Amino acid sequence: MFILKNAWISIKRNKGRNILIGIIILIIACACTITLAIKNTAVDLIDSYKNAYDKEVTISFDRTNMMKDFDSSGAEGRENAREKFDNIASYTISDIESFADSEYIKSYYYTYGIGLNGNNIEKAEIESSNNMPNGFGHGKENNISSTDFTLTGYSSLDAMSEFINGTYTMNEITDNAWDIAFDGNYVFINQELADYNDLNLNDKIKLEDEDGNTYEFEIIGIFKENEEGSTDVMSMFSNSANTLVTNASAVTKITTSNENLQSTINPTFIIDSYDDVEKLQDEFYEKGLDENFVLQTNEEVALSAVSSIENINSFATTFLSLTLIIGGIVLFVINMINIRERKYEIGVLRTIGISKFKLTMQFVSELVIVSVVALILGAGIGALSSKAISNSLLESEINSSNERTEEIGKNFVGSNMNGGMQDRGNRGEMRGKGVPVVEAYDSIDAVVDIKVLLELLGIGLTLVLVSSIASMVSIQRFSPLTILKERS
Amino acid sequence: MANKKKNNYVSKDKIENNFVHKKQVVKNNEEKEIKDKKEIKEKNTSPKNIILSIKNASYRYSDAEEDDYALRNVSFDFESGKIYAIRGRSGTGKTTLLSLISGLERCTEGEILFDGKSLKDMNLDKYRNSDIGIVFQSYNLLPFMTASENIILSMDANGLKIKNKKEKAIELMKKVGLKEIYTNRKVLRLSGGEQQRVAIARSLSYNPKMIIADEPTGNLDKQTETEILDIFKKLAHEENKCVIIVTHSQNVCDTVDVIYDLKKVK
Repeated sequence: MFILKNAWISIKRNKGRNILIGIIILIIACACTITLAIKNTAVDLIDSYKNAYDKEVTISFDRTNMMKDFDSSGAEGRENAREKFDNIASYTISDIESFADSEYIKSYYYTYGIGLNGNNIEKAEIESSNNMPNGFGHGKENNISSTDFTLTGYSSLDAMSEFINGTYTMNEITDNAWDIAFDGNYVFINQELADYNDLNLNDKIKLEDEDGNTYEFEIIGIFKENEEGSTDVMSMFSNSANTLVTNASAVTKITTSNENLQSTINPTFIIDSYDDVEKLQDEFYEKGLDENFVLQTNEEVALSAVSSIENINSFATTFLSLTLIIGGIVLFVINMINIRERKYEIGVLRTIGISKFKLTMQFVSELVIVSVVALILGAGIGALSSKAISNSLLESEINSSNERTEEIGKNFVGSNMNGGMQDRGNRGEMRGKGVPVVEAYDSIDAVVDIKVLLELLGIGLTLVLVSSIASMVSIQRFSPLTILKERS
Repeated sequence: MANKKKNNYVSKDKIENNFVHKKQVVKNNEEKEIKDKKEIKEKNTSPKNIILSIKNASYRYSDAEEDDYALRNVSFDFESGKIYAIRGRSGTGKTTLLSLISGLERCTEGEILFDGKSLKDMNLDKYRNSDIGIVFQSYNLLPFMTASENIILSMDANGLKIKNKKEKAIELMKKVGLKEIYTNRKVLRLSGGEQQRVAIARSLSYNPKMIIADEPTGNLDKQTETEILDIFKKLAHEENKCVIIVTHSQNVCDTVDVIYDLKKVK
C-alpha cells in the first residue's frame, strides 16, 4: 500500500514526464493493437484458406522410380521395360474402398472413366482423340482411346474438379439437375457435342459398348470447356467435346455388366493432416498398392493461395518487432533520465530505511500505472482504427477471395439460371444441393478481441519491465550516502 | 551564564591513531537539576545503558589499497540518555563513522553492536527506520513534499500503524518548535532552521532509541544552533535517547555530555 501510495504521489508530482511516457506507450499500444489485430486476422484468414482447400491426397504413377532401371540400349532393354510396365498392378474400386478405410482419411471421392461408342449420336469430328482421363487403366483390353466417347463418372460434387477449377463451366442445366445428377443415368454433355448432334436438355442419348450393349442417358446439363489453349491443334473441337459427364454409380453399373470394358479410376482422399501422408502411403503399400505409385498432396497449391496473406502477416510481425524495439529503447532512455533526475530522492528514501526492493517496486509501479492507462487508451484507439486499416491492407486479398468463390459458383450453374451461387443469398440452398462453396469474406473481421488484449497486455508489461531494468539496476547500485554527499 | 556547566576533559586510552576524550557532567546550582542529573548519571553509568558499542571498527573503500583505511580500529561506547559529539578534522573519518553507525555502510573489520546485537546480523533497512533516526546537515528532506508529508513518509517507511498520522506529525512538529501553520507548507519554503526541525521531527516519527546527526547545525546561525541543540539535549536527558552528533562546532562540543575525538589515520 505504501509503495502504491508513494508511486501515485510521484506520478502526480511528475506530470510532464509521465504524460510523455504515457504518450509513447499509447503510440506503442495503438500500433501493437492494430498490428496484432492484422496478424490475428491474417492468421485466421490463412487458416480459413487452408481449410477451404481440402487436404487432398492422390495416387500418382512414379515415373522416376520406373525409369531408374530403364535401359534403352537395344531391343532387349526396351522389352524388359515393357514387361515391367505391364506387370504393374493397377487398382480397382474395391481397392480404393479398402485404401479409404483408414484412420488418416476423412473422406474420399473418385472419377471413374470408360470408353463407349455412340448409338444415336455421333462423336464431334476430331482428328485425334486424346480424351483419356488421367489415371491408370484397368481392364483386359486397352480399347478406351479407340471409342467415340469417354464417359466420366464422378462419385460426388467434390470430385468434379474440372468444374471447381474452372476448366468446365456449365452453360445450361435443368432445374432439378443437381438433385438427380448422382443417382441414375443422367449426363452433362459438351456444348460442341450438343451443337454437333442438335441435342438439348432432357434429350435422351444412347451409347453402346463394343459388345453391342446399349445404355441410355438423359441430358440434364450442357457445359463448355474454357481451356481453349489446350485444344488439339488438329481438331476444331475442344478436348472435352466427346466427354460425357455422369455419376460414378452409373459407370459402375456398366462396368459390372461388362467386365471386358477398360476403365480408369482417379481417387482423391481427404486427410486431416499433411503430416500423415507418409504413414498413409505405407498403409496403402501394405494394403497392396504397387510400389510404382506414390501419394501426392495439394499442399503446395494451398500454400500458394495464402502466400500474399502470409506476406502481410510477416510485414505485421516485422512492424511489431520494430515498434517494440524502438519503443523499448525510448522508454529505457526516459527511465535512465528519470532515475538520474531522482537520484536524490532515492538517496533520501534509502537513508530513512526504505529497502531497495520496495524502492524498485515503487519505481516499477509508477511505470506500470502509467502504462496500464496508456495501454487501455491505446487499445481503444487501436480497436477503432484496426478494422479500417486492416481492411485497407487486405482489400485485394478479400476481393480475390470473393472472386474465386463466385467463379466456382458460376462454373456449376447455367446461364439460364438467375442468381445461384452468384447470389450470396442462395449459397445455402446450393450447398444443400451439394454444390461446394468456399467461404468468402465481405471484410476482414479485424476486431480487438480478448486474445489481442491479452497479447497487448503481455507485450506492454514486458516492455515496461524491460525498460525498468535501468531503474532496477540503478537502485541496486546507488549508495545513499554517496548520493547525498554529491547533493551536499 | 550561572547555570552553564564547566567542561572537564578526561583522557581515554589511545587506540592506534584515534584519541578519545570523555567529558563529565558537573553539578549545577539548582538542587533539583543536580538530583535529576545524578539519576541520569547513575542510570547511564550502568553497563546496561550502553546502546551502541563500536568494537575495533575499521573501514576501507572497496577500491582502496590494502592499507588505505578511511577509519581504523575505532572503539567507542554510547549510552542511552547522553548526548555525544564526534569531533575531528576533515579526513579523520567522521562521516565514515557516521555511515557505519547508521548502517549505510558495513565495517570491513571489527563490529558495531546495537542493543547487544551486531549490525552484521541485522536488517539495516529495518534498523534505519526503527531503531535510529538520522539528521543531516543539509536536512535531506524531499523538497516536493510538505513538512508533514516528509514526516508521514518516514512513518510509512517504518510501517507505523496509527490512525491519524498527520496529527502525530503536527505533534512532532510542535515538539521541535514548529508551529502548526507549517504543516502543509512545502519544505523548500521553510528556512534552514525550520527544515532542520522538520528533519529532526522526521527522525523522531517512529520513536527511535538513538538519534545520529551529521553537522546538524552546520548551516544554521548561532541562535538557531542553540535552539536545535536544546532539542537534542531534551531528547537525551528527558526522553533517555542516545544522541550522537558529528561536528566541528565548539558550541556543540560545549553542549554535549561526551566528546569523542577522531584523528586522522596515518
